[in-house]
Amino acid sequence: MMTLGGYHIKLQRRTNLPGWKAAMISVLAVLFGLALFSLIFLQAGQDPVEIYRQIFKYAFFNSYGLGLTINRFIFLALASFAFIIPMRAGLWNIGMPGQLYLGVLAAFGVAYLFGGKAGNLSAPGVVIIPLMILAAMIAGGLFGAISGFLKGKWNVNEIVVTMMLNFIAFYLVAFMIKDGGPFMNLGGRGESFELPEAARAPMTGDFPITLWFVFILTIVLAVLFARMSLGYQIKAFGKSPMAARYAGVKPFFIAVLVFALGGAIAGLAGYHYFAAVPGVYKIARTYGYFGDLSFYGVICGLISLGNPIATLIIALLFGGLSIGGRYAQGKLHLGFGVDFALMGVLMISLVAFQFFYNYQILITKKEKRLDVAVSD
Amino acid sequence: MLPFLIRSLEAAMIFTFAGLGELVDQRSGILNVGLEGIMLFGATLGFIVAKTTGNYLLGFLVGIGIGALLGLLHGFFSITLGVDQVVSGMGIWIFGFGMTTYIGSPHTGPLGLDQLPTWFGISPFFFLAVIMVVLVWFVLAKTGFGLKIRSVGERPSVAEVSGISVTRIRYISVIFGGMMAGFAGAVYALYYNPVWNYNFLMGWGFISLALVFFSMWNPYILFGGAVLFGLLWQLALNPQMFFPGLASRYIWRMVPFIMTILVLVLISSKWFRSRWGATKPEALGRPYHKE
Amino acid sequence: MAKPNPQVEPIELHGDIWKHIRPGEVVLDAQGITKRYPGGVLANDHIDFKVRAGEIHAILGENGAGKTTLMSILFGLLQPDEGEIYVRGLKTRFRSPEDAIKMGIGMVHQHRKLIPAHSVLENILLGHPRSKGMMNLKLAEEEIMALAERYGFEIDPRAKVWQLTEGEKQVVEIVKALYRGAKILILDEPTSALTPLETDRLLESIENMTQDALGVVPFITHKLPVVLAISDEVTILRQGKVVDRLKTAGATEQILAQKMVGRPVIFELRKGPMEPGEPVLQVEGLTARNNKDVIALKNVSFTVREGEILGVAGVAGNGQHELAEVLFGLRELEGGRILFNGQDITGASVLERWQLGMGYTPSERTEVGSIPDFTLVENVAMNYYFDSRYNHRGFLDYKGLRGLTEEIIEEFDVATPGPDVKIQTLSGGNLQKIILGRVLSRQPKLVIANLPAQGLDVGATEFVQRKLLEARAQKAAVILISEDLDEILSLSDWIAPMYEGEIVAMIPGSEAKKDEIGAMIAGVHQEEGA
Repeated sequence: MMTLGGYHIKLQRRTNLPGWKAAMISVLAVLFGLALFSLIFLQAGQDPVEIYRQIFKYAFFNSYGLGLTINRFIFLALASFAFIIPMRAGLWNIGMPGQLYLGVLAAFGVAYLFGGKAGNLSAPGVVIIPLMILAAMIAGGLFGAISGFLKGKWNVNEIVVTMMLNFIAFYLVAFMIKDGGPFMNLGGRGESFELPEAARAPMTGDFPITLWFVFILTIVLAVLFARMSLGYQIKAFGKSPMAARYAGVKPFFIAVLVFALGGAIAGLAGYHYFAAVPGVYKIARTYGYFGDLSFYGVICGLISLGNPIATLIIALLFGGLSIGGRYAQGKLHLGFGVDFALMGVLMISLVAFQFFYNYQILITKKEKRLDVAVSD
Repeated sequence: MLPFLIRSLEAAMIFTFAGLGELVDQRSGILNVGLEGIMLFGATLGFIVAKTTGNYLLGFLVGIGIGALLGLLHGFFSITLGVDQVVSGMGIWIFGFGMTTYIGSPHTGPLGLDQLPTWFGISPFFFLAVIMVVLVWFVLAKTGFGLKIRSVGERPSVAEVSGISVTRIRYISVIFGGMMAGFAGAVYALYYNPVWNYNFLMGWGFISLALVFFSMWNPYILFGGAVLFGLLWQLALNPQMFFPGLASRYIWRMVPFIMTILVLVLISSKWFRSRWGATKPEALGRPYHKE
Repeated sequence: MAKPNPQVEPIELHGDIWKHIRPGEVVLDAQGITKRYPGGVLANDHIDFKVRAGEIHAILGENGAGKTTLMSILFGLLQPDEGEIYVRGLKTRFRSPEDAIKMGIGMVHQHRKLIPAHSVLENILLGHPRSKGMMNLKLAEEEIMALAERYGFEIDPRAKVWQLTEGEKQVVEIVKALYRGAKILILDEPTSALTPLETDRLLESIENMTQDALGVVPFITHKLPVVLAISDEVTILRQGKVVDRLKTAGATEQILAQKMVGRPVIFELRKGPMEPGEPVLQVEGLTARNNKDVIALKNVSFTVREGEILGVAGVAGNGQHELAEVLFGLRELEGGRILFNGQDITGASVLERWQLGMGYTPSERTEVGSIPDFTLVENVAMNYYFDSRYNHRGFLDYKGLRGLTEEIIEEFDVATPGPDVKIQTLSGGNLQKIILGRVLSRQPKLVIANLPAQGLDVGATEFVQRKLLEARAQKAAVILISEDLDEILSLSDWIAPMYEGEIVAMIPGSEAKKDEIGAMIAGVHQEEGA
């Protein structure tokens, strides 16, 4: 408790956090992060306001930039959902990179099995594409389920396990696409073969069908957590595993389920980026970059507090910042990794603002007992 | 064979430094999962400073300094602001990962300085690591200060009513943990693998974290585990020494990570669990509220 | 009455402040202590009291009367908003327990403030000036043993605290406070976790300390017989204010209770006769381990019938908790069988037990029995998310659940603004009422109540007990686990005292005698006692 002028300023633990207040804090956190990040622009001798203007203009108002933004938005939204489902169960899934790598490998594996490497597909796209999508989800789901299983059965720390699995999957991809691995393209360039046209994800208008997956998943997740018994069980477990267990919820089941679901969605994110984004359609040499980009899902998930609709908005924002940031990076000759730096700054800003989710500031006049509470 | 062993021990010393810091930290009840982030910062900033000034000592000092600062930050978030320790740790990791990717990229490449001197073929830091292991054990087990740290990690409310400032002890531990992690990162970047690349710590921070769990908070077991992993890592990098042509080099690179998972599963098994449960600091990861 | 051992001198730590104390002198003077909690609750309202050297001054009050707040202020854990504290005439301010300790105030807490994983010696030394730098364990051990001997305490410095009984742990805490040089000893609910035998021993030690003319000991207790037995003077708190102060000599339990609660209190709860029906629960040879991997249940067998209350009596740590968990599927059984209505449910999941008609109110209300961050409706859903009345093809009927919650709130007299507030805003008594209401609303055939009235005030306790009797009247089988012998005796049809994981005997409620049961739960064998 501090005294400033004629006022007492006191910090007090919250007992209730209405949705709009939480949203406000999240917005403030993002703004603060952006403001902090502008220091980098200042250091490069540029005017931050002008830079941000250019970033947003490119990301959202330039037809080419918008296209990139939407594609990245899809990727980030999926990565966020992959993080959010375990998060609501109180578990940390930072294994999105690994799960998406496995998803990609499975999808490309299906294409490979149908002769995709050589370029002549033995079945029509209508058969292959759904199989690819399914394979991506199953592979990602199974890979995620490993962490869920270990956690549920033996309470093994899921943070370390998912991180280790990330590296394992990373090398698995390298094995498959480099040094003469099975998926390596015929030109030997250390990247995978290119998907033949029939195996590429169909587009609706300018965007791949994966955009619809995002919308469908948003609705599914919203309904799951708001109305369904399963969603209730997940939330209860996330709030208090002991109380949930007492109420009959099975911890093992929840752990495996949420990680399987999260992993499946991450697998879908992998499918999206490498098999659905126009201009890519292969596992690039720099695949690691996209794996690491999925960590944005962690930030999105924390800011949105697990709310699927808020996640969409935030993923769109981050998608734009990320694309616009790359653009600015190129234009201003900033070093590589500007979007990663942004990721870092936003995260730390968010952690700091976590404080406001838990506490409120009460300001009371010193002499009289009038509680003029100005709470945050 | 000898260079293989030496490199293993040198890897072990880095795991040990990072692990000891986290061990003390956890003994006081604070979980810091952002170890990798601090190590990345210590490594990157130390590398940049040494490279641009040509001065090794400065590089190490900066590494230790930034480690202390990040430790302080983690402490501030989790102790004073009451943010969940895992959230704060993850924040530090992503912050470190993101920032160092950007800051370090212009300096991608070799350090370009003469290699640090060795004693009997091995880096003197190895001997420092061994001394630190004994020192940490001694302080924790035999001194009043160590008793305070351990008590704060078991039941902070008890320590508080015994007249100990839980906050002070935890801050000291978390800063110490940060310093050690920053130092470990600097050693990695300035000696062990002096070639900067983004995310070049390859998960060593997370492995060190796993080692702390594995060690049951005993510095000697930690050191043993570090040596084991140092050997594993070298094996993964040089499989041809023992198993020529067995599998692609990429498959071999997976080995240390698979082993880490197996180790964690092992310590969660029933036999281990009761012993582990007995030594785990009871208040680990739980925030402490005065009232 | 034993006198302190004059051969052994206690260590002097506080220099001049405590020199030359005269028995009867005022050593602690609290004036106008006031403390307000966020939300405007006035926990302490201008409280005054004085403690004299060599006297035992008890503080009496219901839960929520402000005792804990007051003692926390005296020990430096909380800061008062108003008021002054004088130690031997010196105005002092305690910013932390360290300040209080330095002024010679020691506190022995209701919930042991010891570290189970450490040894007795390490616990006593924690924070002590003797532990600076390298700890000289030998010297400390000698001094501590000497101190213990002076007052007739028995301790083993090398033992690990988790191995000790509640009574032994309390002794450690007392020695710890004395070793730090406490001249005023605050005891928070000192007898609540003790067997009758341990209580007697404690009271004797306290007499010892007062004989030393320096140890002064305020009590805080709601065990009325203890207050009458030991104290010289009593200060009674109600709703944060001092309502009376008496010399204990002329008082009775009735007078004290009335002043505490503010109205005449009925001490008897009427239990109607019931014809016991079919066996609902039969357990045979239950064996299980506790969290320290030590056998906590040894071959426990019993039967409970419809319309019966089985009272499991015992001091905490003798296996009752593990018994409850094992019955409900929250703990693994190493051996034995559980039959529910004739069906073997030994391997059934927790969910299955709820669905079959078992109910459990755990002793840990906020960690297990409820989810603090959830609303009341969401908490009620804990027992209904699987129930086809509220779960339609996987979708929860939140509207129906809200209606159910409102019904429970009304029937169980839960004080709350509404069903949509977070349950953490409820006080202890109301929380327990809604948990009980939630469980009983399912009309279970078996109710396991683990310490249902612990920590509740007289009003809430009465309510809970009445509800359990109602369940019994509706032909449910009830297992009541309690540390309160009076409660057990007044409610149970059968009493099963437990000691060290075994059921010592099965005694019909009508034939049970309090001191007999008291002896059994303390491990005194029938042959010796009778």
